[in-house]
Amino acid sequence: MNNENIIEIRNLKKSYDDGRIKALNGIDLNIKRGEFVSIMGPSGSGKSTLLNMIGALDVAGEGSIMVAGIDLTKNTKLNEFRSQEIGFVFQMHNLIPNLTVLENVEIPMYETNLTSDQMRKRALELLKSVDLEDKINQTPTKLSGGERQRVAIARALVNHPSIILADEPTGALDSKTGDLILKLMRNLHQQENVTLVMVTHEPYVGNMADRIINVLDGKIQN
Amino acid sequence: MSFISLVVKNPFRNKTRSSLAIIGIAIGIMVIVALGMVTGGLKASTQSTLKAGAAEISVVQTGSGDFGGGRINESRIADVQKINGVKDAAGTLRATNTSTAVGSQSSMPSPGSGGGFGFSVTGMERSKLSLAGVDSINGALYSDGSTNEVIIGKTAADEMKKNVGDKINLFGKDFTITGIYETGNFITDAGAFMSLNTLQNLTNNGNQVSSIAVKINDNANVTEVSTAIQNAYPNELSTTSAASMANRMNNALSTIDTASWAISILAIVIGGVGVVNTMIMSVYERTREIGVLKAVGWKDRRILGMILGESVVLTLIAAVVGTVVAVVGVVVLLSLSSVGNVITPSYSPDIFIRAFVVAFAVGLVGGLYPAYRASRLSPTEALRYE
Repeated sequence: MNNENIIEIRNLKKSYDDGRIKALNGIDLNIKRGEFVSIMGPSGSGKSTLLNMIGALDVAGEGSIMVAGIDLTKNTKLNEFRSQEIGFVFQMHNLIPNLTVLENVEIPMYETNLTSDQMRKRALELLKSVDLEDKINQTPTKLSGGERQRVAIARALVNHPSIILADEPTGALDSKTGDLILKLMRNLHQQENVTLVMVTHEPYVGNMADRIINVLDGKIQN
Repeated sequence: MSFISLVVKNPFRNKTRSSLAIIGIAIGIMVIVALGMVTGGLKASTQSTLKAGAAEISVVQTGSGDFGGGRINESRIADVQKINGVKDAAGTLRATNTSTAVGSQSSMPSPGSGGGFGFSVTGMERSKLSLAGVDSINGALYSDGSTNEVIIGKTAADEMKKNVGDKINLFGKDFTITGIYETGNFITDAGAFMSLNTLQNLTNNGNQVSSIAVKINDNANVTEVSTAIQNAYPNELSTTSAASMANRMNNALSTIDTASWAISILAIVIGGVGVVNTMIMSVYERTREIGVLKAVGWKDRRILGMILGESVVLTLIAAVVGTVVAVVGVVVLLSLSSVGNVITPSYSPDIFIRAFVVAFAVGLVGGLYPAYRASRLSPTEALRYE
C-alpha cells in the first residue's frame, strides 16, 4: 500500500439479492491521507454502498479494500476498526433521543479505555469546537436540525478517527444551515487533519471537496 | 456517563411500557414474598409448637383423634405413670366455652362468640402446667383447687383485651384472670387453663380427662414408650408424639409451599412474557439506534450487555416494588385480621434473596432473545430501518 493513500480499493464488487442487483461493479479507487473527497452520483448508483464498504459496515463481495493499512476483506475485528479509524456522519444525524447532547457525543468512547471524566472532557472539547457548549445538557429533541448535525459531527470526531465518512450530511437541512455545516466540516477536516469522504448528489456540495468521484451503475466514471 | 448509568437510564425512555412490564413482574415477586412471609411464619409457629410442649407424648382414647375428643378415666394417669420410661404424666381436660358473652369485634373465636370453634379451656393441675409448655407467665398461676381463677394465653388476652385481674365469664361462671402465659404454640396461646377439678365439675366430666400428657425420661425413646403405653391398654389408649404432629403440620405446610411456588411460577411466567415483549418492542424501535452504535464501533457483546442490562434493571425495580408492596400488604392485612395474632410474618433474608434471584433470572432470560437479536443486527440494515 502506498503510504500516501489511506484508502486503496481494487476491483470492488458487491451484489445483493443473489447477484441480481449489482451495487458495486468493479471499483478502483485511491484516496490520500488528509484528502477531502466527494462521491457523487444519482440515487441507486452505489455511492452509499461504497461508503459503507469503506466504513466496514458492509463486507465486500469481490476485490480488495484497504483502509488505514487494514485489509477489510480479511480483518474480523471490524467494530474495533470502526471505533478507532472511522467517524460517521449520517443524513439523519441519528442521535439517541433520551440522551443529552454530551452523552450522545460520549457514546463512541465506551469502547475505549477512557474513564468517565476523560470521556466527558473530550466530549466537551469537541462540543466547544462545534459551538454547542451551552447545549450540553439538552436532549436532541430540543435542538434545531443544524445543531443536531453539529452534535453528530462532534460524535464522529470524538475518537480521533483518521477518516470521516459523511453520507449526505446536508440532505435534511435547509441550504443556509447546510452551508454552515459544510464549512464546519471542512474546517474540522483541516484542523484535525482528517480524511473526509462525503457522499452527496448535490453539485454545489460536491464542489467544496478537493476531488469529486462520480459513481454510476456501481462504477467510477472519471 | 458510565455504561451502567446508560443501562439504567435507557428503560425509561418509554415510561408507560416499562411501568407496565414492571407491574407485571412486581405482581409475581409480590406473590413470592407475601406467600414466603406467611408460610415462613406458619413454619416458625410449627417449630414453636414442637418446642413449647414439654410433654413428648399425648395419650388419648383410641379412635378419638389427636386432640382428645374422647374421655379417659382419671385413674389411667397413675397407670401410665408406672410404665417404664415415663417420667411424669398429667391429665388434661379440654372443653370449649361457647356460652358466655364477652364482646369481641373480630372474627377470632372468643368466649362469647357463641359459634365457630369456641374458646378452648384446658383443665390441668397447676403443678403439671409445665407439661403443657406453660413455664413463663405474666402474673401468677391459679391456686391449687381454685374454683374461680384462670390463666389465659397471650393471643386470647390481646384478642379480648384482657389483663391480669380482669374477669372472664366461662361456662356461665365469672373467673379472675391471675396470669397471662405465652408458650409460642398458637393453639395453646389462644386458650385458657384452669384447675382440672374445676373444669371437670363445670363440664360434668367428673374423674374424666380428655388426654394424658406424658413426659419421658431423658434416656427413654419416644417410640418405645408410646408402643409400651398402647400395648398396655390396647383398644383403649392411643398415643401421638409432638414430633409426629409437627411433622404432619410441616407436611401440610410444604403442600402450601408447593402451591405457593406454583402460583409464583405462573405469575413470573406471565410477567416474564411481558418483559420479553417490552424488550423486543424496545429493540424494534431502536433498530436504527443500534445500527448507529455498531457504526461507532460498539462490539456485539456490548449491545448484548446493554439490552440484557436494561431487562435486568426492569425486573430488579419490579423486585423492589413487589417486595415493598408484599411486606406492607402482609403487615396491614395481618394487623386488620385476627389471623395476625396467630401468624407472625417471617422476615427471613431467604425470602427476599429468593425474590431478587427470581427477578434477576427473569430479567436475564426475558432479555436474552431481544438482546441476541439486537447484537446480531447488520449495521447497514439497521441504519436503513425506518
